[in-house]
Amino acid sequence: MSDPYKVLGVSPTATDDEIKAAYRELAKKYHPDNYSGSPIADLAGEKMKEINEAYDTVVAQRKQQKNGGYAGYTAPNTGYAGQSYGNSYSSGFNDVRNLIMLGRIADAEQILNGVPSESRNAEWYFLKGTVLYKRGWLEEAYNNFARACQMDPYNGEYRAAMNQVTNQRNGVYGGYNPNVPRTGSCSGCDVCSSLICADCCCECMGGDLIPCC
Amino acid sequence: MFGYVRPQKSELLVREYEQYKGVYCSLCRQLGKSYGMVSRLTLSYDCTFYALMLLAFRPECPGFQSGRCVVNPLKKCTFCSSGEPEFVSASALSVIMTYYKIRDDIADSRFWGKLRAYALLLLAARAHRKAAADFPRLDAIISASMEEQKAAEQAPDPCLDSCAEPTAKMLQQVFEASAGEDGEPDSPKIRILRQFGYFLGRWVYIIDAADDMEKDLKTASFNPFIIQCGLNEASSPEELEKAKSYANEVLNLTLSQLTAALNILDLDHFGEIIQNVVLKGLPEIQKELLFKKEKVHVRSL
Repeated sequence: MSDPYKVLGVSPTATDDEIKAAYRELAKKYHPDNYSGSPIADLAGEKMKEINEAYDTVVAQRKQQKNGGYAGYTAPNTGYAGQSYGNSYSSGFNDVRNLIMLGRIADAEQILNGVPSESRNAEWYFLKGTVLYKRGWLEEAYNNFARACQMDPYNGEYRAAMNQVTNQRNGVYGGYNPNVPRTGSCSGCDVCSSLICADCCCECMGGDLIPCC
Repeated sequence: MFGYVRPQKSELLVREYEQYKGVYCSLCRQLGKSYGMVSRLTLSYDCTFYALMLLAFRPECPGFQSGRCVVNPLKKCTFCSSGEPEFVSASALSVIMTYYKIRDDIADSRFWGKLRAYALLLLAARAHRKAAADFPRLDAIISASMEEQKAAEQAPDPCLDSCAEPTAKMLQQVFEASAGEDGEPDSPKIRILRQFGYFLGRWVYIIDAADDMEKDLKTASFNPFIIQCGLNEASSPEELEKAKSYANEVLNLTLSQLTAALNILDLDHFGEIIQNVVLKGLPEIQKELLFKKEKVHVRSL
């Protein structure tokens, strides 16, 4: 295995807190939520495993050093790993779900397209959306998820997919949101200088806002 | 459709900005060397970004040295002291893309525009011939995507996704090809690069379409947003604003995928600059083009 410190992007002299912070930062980046439905989700999973192992190794090493060389047993920290998105939903499209799981997107889409339009239910729209999302057709995917939620508003699986795409559209995962001011638009300095300005204005008129200056 | 992929300068370290400029100037110099003085005019931020991505995977970091700018001899420039093969392919991409863009303009414009485009085409044709001979794969990818674009726009019921697909696929293949043919086709790096290229291309197509909305309304040209949002010449400013805010959501969704791909991509050099482009530069362009009241030209860096 490669150098665990390198994997975490910290120097071997970093403090425990720095290492923890670096680990958290990376774990946030590779979090499965960022990749659910993406064709590169497995690679992100591997990255997650890598940093989990590196973090465990570093923690174990440091503990060993502190204990004067005695290698105590440390329970492996599983971090965010081990979250699986397996579904236990009863499904009329098990074959399609299996194909999607295997990454055979074109086959899955072909079966879906073969379903006559009168028997397309909420699950059909959800799966169609999933397939389109994997292909990068994000807008059509969004429309299909919306349709699925409309037809079956109480299904958690469809709702979760819809929420994710909605958050992504609103710039939660990168991008620009016009309704959220950028941080730093009003800093501490701005507050102070405005107060001093106001004080000067008052003094001109014979009043005083801040008595001490 | 050029110049959208760039860093946000205010968020770069001075050192990073110097490096970015170094890559930019080296690409310009390579264009002159490979394809003649005129081809320097095709220099763009997009191809600089492509060069950066190529350099990011080199085993050793390209060093920097200072020299003189050829276009403005009074100005001092930084240049990369190595990395020639990367700049050669980035400059070929620049020449080939510009050539097809001009050909596209000929088909789209009226009499005077056509005349202008033909004149430019004459200038670009020789450089393109040379670039296409050196990089036949790149040329094939881009010319095929132009054909697909035409077909997608003439399809009976064009949706945003199908219109964005040719550009997305084009960059997907360009980035896939950049990893070299020797690598196995399904290595993690190539899979991530494919995903990265697809969504970068998709973002570029969509921002370009969103930016051209008003212009295309006036000239009655094809634009997926005009169809999607049902705009016409009598549309009120509010309707346009709504369409732009819709475009922003589409772009955010695309960026979320691009960011996810970038996060698990192992870059050996220029990682901070590339992250700046994707996480800050592209959102900045969205803000500038879609939410400024008066039409602004994005200033050069």
